[in-house]
Amino acid sequence: MTKADGNNIRWFIAAVLLTAIPFFLSPEAVAAPLQAGAETAWWIWVLLLFVFSFFLGIVSVLAGVGGGVLFVPIVGSFFPFHLDFVRGAGLLVALSGALSAGPSLLRKGLADLKLSLPLSLIGSISSIAGAIVGLTMSADSVQLLLGIAIIAIAAIMMKGGKSGYPEVAKQDSISRALGISGSYYEPTIEKIVDWKVHRTPLGLVLFFFIGFIGGMFGMGAGWANVPVLNLLMGAPLKIAVATSGLVLSMNGAAAAWIYIYKGAVLPLIAVPAVGGVMLGSKIGARILSKVNTGSVRIVVIIMMVIAGLRSITKGLGL
Amino acid sequence: MNSNAGQQKPEINRVQLVYASVLDIVSHAGMTLIAAGFLAYVFRLLPLTVSIEDIASHWHLRASDMNNILSVPTGWAWTQDPMHGDVLSFISIVFLAMAAMICLVAVIPVFLGEKNRTYALIALLQVIVLAAAVLGIVS
Repeated sequence: MTKADGNNIRWFIAAVLLTAIPFFLSPEAVAAPLQAGAETAWWIWVLLLFVFSFFLGIVSVLAGVGGGVLFVPIVGSFFPFHLDFVRGAGLLVALSGALSAGPSLLRKGLADLKLSLPLSLIGSISSIAGAIVGLTMSADSVQLLLGIAIIAIAAIMMKGGKSGYPEVAKQDSISRALGISGSYYEPTIEKIVDWKVHRTPLGLVLFFFIGFIGGMFGMGAGWANVPVLNLLMGAPLKIAVATSGLVLSMNGAAAAWIYIYKGAVLPLIAVPAVGGVMLGSKIGARILSKVNTGSVRIVVIIMMVIAGLRSITKGLGL
Repeated sequence: MNSNAGQQKPEINRVQLVYASVLDIVSHAGMTLIAAGFLAYVFRLLPLTVSIEDIASHWHLRASDMNNILSVPTGWAWTQDPMHGDVLSFISIVFLAMAAMICLVAVIPVFLGEKNRTYALIALLQVIVLAAAVLGIVS
């Protein structure tokens, strides 16, 4: 093992341990400093949120999930911020990650605008509806539903397969009419990969529901976008992952505005979260090839289940 | 999948390249604004509309309840009095949330130039949906 490998593994272990810190803190212990010294403790929470988000950024890249899906249940359950502000920040976390990766993926032909636009049009309408519904429901109900959703997502992640280059025998009429197809250079096999999609009508229906859930819980929806694009519609995995980000940047923006208008976006919470996750993601991308991503994924799924259970008990007032 | 070995890399559609260029500029500007706005906020380089301590002592409340007690910036209300640290930080978030809309507005003429009226219309509809959210029509 080289010195660089050793450093990378240390980063990975530190990331997992520090991301798990909130799980070892009781809610009472977490809330105590705030109640005891609310006037002086704000910067501690902001700093903790930044540090936590930074390591969350590392772990989320290694696990192949967006930061938003981990951010909302963990911060919502273990930090003293109301879930309204956490969801507002979670949308911005998901949105900013997608925006920063977008230019490079578009130039490589991996993120496809023609594939994303019809899906994001449907998804942004439903994400607005989801955000409105989510902000009118009681906090306990949202917390309970969030817990159930997170455990369901963890189950999907555990069971979900993926296909590098799905076979699409025949395009459906909508994707053919819209000219949704393309090609990109795949350096790992040194070939140009041509792709097309099918089952677009069903994909559009599913993106409506995904957008609603994303807006309601303030999460990115890569966990659902990617399987629908890849396994259902037949887009190659790299196209699915990259295009999911493009869809997310539009759906997330639409829902974020509802949170902005309802006063559910506080810069004091949103900015450290965005900054931390983005910096952490850059580190995560650098050490991605050095760690066993399968193990990280299992750790993340366990974290999601714990955060989901905590969210359910909080929602039930237990 | 069809794989074509030994061919040149495929050309990227001009619309994608325009979208990428605009997104590159907007996202970098957004991140710079976010960092600058937040520093101005937490180091109190400008006066604040609501003190950080007040925000921190109410951030456990629902957004609607906090708004009833404090006047935190929401929507476009900040335009009336923008020169405050917290408002500048809020503006940077507003800018980031408008990034996708700015990029879409930039590519509509490119779609039309390519005589792709269907995608010009889809992009326009997407802009209308985002604009309805941005202007608070659906809030």
